[in-house]
Amino acid sequence: MDHRLYYVVGDFLVSLLIGVVAGLAAWAIVGPGWNMWAAMALMMPLGMVIGMLIYFPLGSRLGAMEAMIPSMYTGMWAGMVVGMMEAMMPLPLHHAAEMGAACGVAEIIFIWLANTILRGVTKA
Amino acid sequence: MSTALTPAEITRAKWDKLAPRFDTMASLGAEKRWKPFKTKLFSHMQGKILFLALGTGLDIPFFPKGQDITAIDISPKMLEEAQDRIAAYDGTISAEVMDVHEMPYAEGVFDQVFTSCTFCSVPDPVAGLKALHRVLKPGGQLFMFEHTGSKLYPFRQMMDFMTILSEKIGPSMNRDTVSNVRAAGFGNIEVENVFLDVVKTIKAVKAG
Repeated sequence: MDHRLYYVVGDFLVSLLIGVVAGLAAWAIVGPGWNMWAAMALMMPLGMVIGMLIYFPLGSRLGAMEAMIPSMYTGMWAGMVVGMMEAMMPLPLHHAAEMGAACGVAEIIFIWLANTILRGVTKA
Repeated sequence: MSTALTPAEITRAKWDKLAPRFDTMASLGAEKRWKPFKTKLFSHMQGKILFLALGTGLDIPFFPKGQDITAIDISPKMLEEAQDRIAAYDGTISAEVMDVHEMPYAEGVFDQVFTSCTFCSVPDPVAGLKALHRVLKPGGQLFMFEHTGSKLYPFRQMMDFMTILSEKIGPSMNRDTVSNVRAAGFGNIEVENVFLDVVKTIKAVKAG
């Protein structure tokens, strides 16, 4: 992960925001009675698009790939998870937002861990 | 009579169009975040240097002082934007509008070639890298700061998805630049991942 405080805080907050927005979008779009797999198939790409849309204005302050990839990844997972849960049972609005936020936190931690493992020098 | 644009003309048109707002897009986010890694890479500069795709010159402040650098870019509009940074550099930068595929330099004239977020946009990356290989002296070094595709799920799929959009306005997001470097004939390739396996520095050598 990037250890500069500005980017740690910035990446975390953006991921949290995207998780909440993608979760709320899934809550608004998907309803009980939907096929769970259909909800997943719709909300994964839609969540990625939501992540990209939020990334564009913020990316000019936080970076290119380092901001774009976590944004899309968080949007995809938050949309998918909340969408599938909403398809199985109706969620209160605040639960959808909390679930999306939890996805945002989990995904940025995953990105940080993956980056820590992958960074470094290799002979190709 | 056909008026179809060549890949180089399409690339030039894309970057000419982006030039006036490129600094706004890149200077506060990407360039600040990449500054430590680019500064470290460019600290290797010595000898006769070719810098490919100077753009608006956002990399110039990271160059070590006192170098004599030949810089090229396919976009005249980008180089117009770079003029103030070229003038402010404490060294010499000779910048020319040029397509990497059509460089007029003789074989083996440069000690080092540097690129920075370039091979996401070169129309034929292996041919472009072969052109760099040609102008390097035997034993000459290639230093690249590039973003590439990922080999990992789901990042690979995301980069493929993003490329559908990004290619319309500028770069590809899913190129395998390390393989392209190898295919162009370079050896002793060293890769340092900066972010995941997407943003990286690549060092390679033309066999002596």
